[in-house]
Amino acid sequence: MHGRLKVKSTAQQEEQKRQEREKKLKIFVAVRDACFSKRKEGIWDDEALKLTQQVLSSNPDFATLWNYRKEILMHQETVKEKDEVQTIYGAELSFLESCLQTNPKSYGSWYHRGWVSSRMPKPDWARELTLCDRCLSLDERNFHCWDYRRMVVKMSGVSVDQELAFTDRLIGSNFSNYSSWHYRSTLLPLLHPESPEPPSPCLKPLLKEYELVQNAFFTDPNDQSAWFYYRWLLGRAEREDMISCVYVSRDEERVAVAFSRPSVGLLLVLDGQPQRVEWRSVHPRFKHSPLWICDLPPGTISDISYEHNLTVHWTEKHIHRDCALYTGRTESYCRDSAMDQELFRSELSVEKTSVLQSELQSCNQLQELEPLNKWCSLTIILLMRALDPLGYEKEMLAHFQTLREVDSMRSAYYSDLCSKFMIENTILKMEYAEVRVFSISDKNLTTLCHLDQLLLVTHINLSSNQLQRLPPQFAMLQCLEVLEADNNSIENLEGLYHLPKLEEVLLKNNKISTLADLQPLASCPKLKRLDLRGNPVTQIANVESELAELLPAVKDLLL
Amino acid sequence: MGSQVKDVIIKPDAPTALMLDKHADYIAAYGSNKDNYEYTLSEYLRMSGMYWGLTVMDLMGQLQRMNREEITDFIKACQHECGGISASIGHDPHLLYTLSAVQILSLYDNVDAIDVDKVVEYVQGLQQEDGSFAGDKWGEIDTRFSFCAVATLSLLGKMDKINVDKAVEFILSCMNFDGGFGCRPGSESHAGQIYCCTGFLSLTGQLHQVNADLLGWWLCERQLSSGGLNGRPEKLPDVCYSWWVLASLKIIGRIHWINKAKLRAFILACQDEETGGFSDRPGDMVDPFHTLFGVAGLSLLGEERVKSVNPVLCMPEDVLQRIGLQPDLLS
Repeated sequence: MHGRLKVKSTAQQEEQKRQEREKKLKIFVAVRDACFSKRKEGIWDDEALKLTQQVLSSNPDFATLWNYRKEILMHQETVKEKDEVQTIYGAELSFLESCLQTNPKSYGSWYHRGWVSSRMPKPDWARELTLCDRCLSLDERNFHCWDYRRMVVKMSGVSVDQELAFTDRLIGSNFSNYSSWHYRSTLLPLLHPESPEPPSPCLKPLLKEYELVQNAFFTDPNDQSAWFYYRWLLGRAEREDMISCVYVSRDEERVAVAFSRPSVGLLLVLDGQPQRVEWRSVHPRFKHSPLWICDLPPGTISDISYEHNLTVHWTEKHIHRDCALYTGRTESYCRDSAMDQELFRSELSVEKTSVLQSELQSCNQLQELEPLNKWCSLTIILLMRALDPLGYEKEMLAHFQTLREVDSMRSAYYSDLCSKFMIENTILKMEYAEVRVFSISDKNLTTLCHLDQLLLVTHINLSSNQLQRLPPQFAMLQCLEVLEADNNSIENLEGLYHLPKLEEVLLKNNKISTLADLQPLASCPKLKRLDLRGNPVTQIANVESELAELLPAVKDLLL
Repeated sequence: MGSQVKDVIIKPDAPTALMLDKHADYIAAYGSNKDNYEYTLSEYLRMSGMYWGLTVMDLMGQLQRMNREEITDFIKACQHECGGISASIGHDPHLLYTLSAVQILSLYDNVDAIDVDKVVEYVQGLQQEDGSFAGDKWGEIDTRFSFCAVATLSLLGKMDKINVDKAVEFILSCMNFDGGFGCRPGSESHAGQIYCCTGFLSLTGQLHQVNADLLGWWLCERQLSSGGLNGRPEKLPDVCYSWWVLASLKIIGRIHWINKAKLRAFILACQDEETGGFSDRPGDMVDPFHTLFGVAGLSLLGEERVKSVNPVLCMPEDVLQRIGLQPDLLS
């Protein structure tokens, strides 16, 4: 079905071909029918093996016939002596070898070989490994063979070191190495399991791995597999599980809890008493959320003259966080800063700075030699993010510009990735300034992310970007009072859903087209001011009266 | 020294217009000549071949040209005592063809033509202790079969009959360093497997477990200068990856990371103006498999002359709406 060239030929050649195929077809049908009828009669003899062999040697995807052979072989096991069975299975392996030579990519052949090897009285795993070596020397990307090899290694106890050495050899001699790098990615963790305590004791082998990959992409900067592997090497640290923020509000009598990742299983203890509350996500369409909210029974914390102590428990992880709500205060919060969490470095590992510095240096050198190499530009960006996200912001933007030029097919990816990094930088700047205002105007934003980090934000300015929607996740901005989003391409406001403190929404010059698009706003109880100028929806008949009905509390409406 | 990027070059005279009528004629006539060599040799996958042909006809609004009764009778004759369904009469049952059969009957709103409870029993019985699924009683394990299992049960509304948590656990154990998935734990990422695994996670409501940004990057890097998509790094483009890769991107909410115009041009170039149908790459022989995935790919790209296709099940959206099956997608 794949790779069959359509060749134009003369009428005579066509006729000859047609006759040949007719002949072949006749034979095929006859043998196939013979196989089927023998099987129907329950015959498991040598003739059956011969017949199925005829078909399978050129049609190894005819799975039913491999099944028939399995039945025959299993029957032989019951009536022959062990060494005869060994011989029979040996012959089966020889037959399979010829099948694999003709068609090295048949699922049926490889599975049958594995089945035979595991049933043989005396399997020769060394021979199987050699077969894999040979097959991979012909096609290093044959995943059937790699999977078979993994099975052989498992059955025969070949060491991880030996297999790593095997990949070393392949990587050193070939260009198409992705399968080898992939295999390494599965072997390394077996040899050097990560320890939770820094400094990582597996630093030395990791440095060796960096060296190996660097050699690969310095030798051939267009060998993409090395770059993919490198990105993985840089990004291996897992973010620590934690409750990143707890927020309490007397006005809504609500508690909001942000986790480091989507999770469930929360217990709220108020003044020493476990509370029976219903935790929910901020939006029905956002089910696997890192942020959960609950409403306390009316009157529980509304009296501002009382102090309260809250503790939130992440039961599954045995982690908790305390938050005190003082007298005279309408709200309270408690969180780790993004910097403390090394939040945005979780894409890149917590390796020593000097290692990353030297990596960056090497890549910059390479970039001078190969200015059009997009892998290099992208990797430089990732390294700069790890070392100094704010300090390298300008350079990062320049590199993204280069990427959009040299790899224009993927400019949408680069725009989204750049948006993500600019949002990260803005979060960091916001923390340095110790304010709850998030301002990211005129930054070519194409997407929103890290919205779980914006729980405490009261004012957000997204104006003059290229946003198309405020997704359900936007509802995580539980403290939001003012939204400025003029001059975007927003057509969807799903995320403006039950935002308890939202008073002002500025959406001038966007793409809001229908009244239905504005429906979510009706769920925001405190909404008073709405600017919809420059949106297609303002051209709808009776728009003013429709909006008066939909949003009766909005007294300040600009159309 | 240095690797050459494998790719094809689209000739200037390659087709640029979508020839739906020719494709409908090609599929309608396919298999009418039972003495055809290719047709007979592909009997081992006949049920899937029928699913490919019927689905593309439905997407083109041409399903009525096919013989519903003959097809239903054929499927009935392929259901075995164990409940599983085979590719053709006389062949052994397998999850692959069980899914194809259920998909076909769903197109025709005729699922009760077979013994549904027995199908469910068959699928259930193939789940292993580690949550994986064997393709049939002979025990081959592959994430493709996990997809076949949950897709079949979803269409029948019987997902509660298997251990979903364990099944999910197995799929996640097949996630690789690059965010992709392979056949079994430790297997290299491959677009076909990624489609099966993201489709699986969609049907089981577990898409949040995917690293969408990382996998999306790997997937958008499948696009080559010709505009076509390959299945993994350093391979040639193939129109069927317009499905496996594109559908995966749609499922994880990153379809905009592909250059749509260039992909569309590549897919159209894979048409055969003479015979109708699509081939894997421009100039090769056509077949129903590539015809379906070419048309389905175009549908995902927004082709108005083709029905909307569901990225998880590769079936017309209107069929799934009728069944009431709307699997999650990331946004």
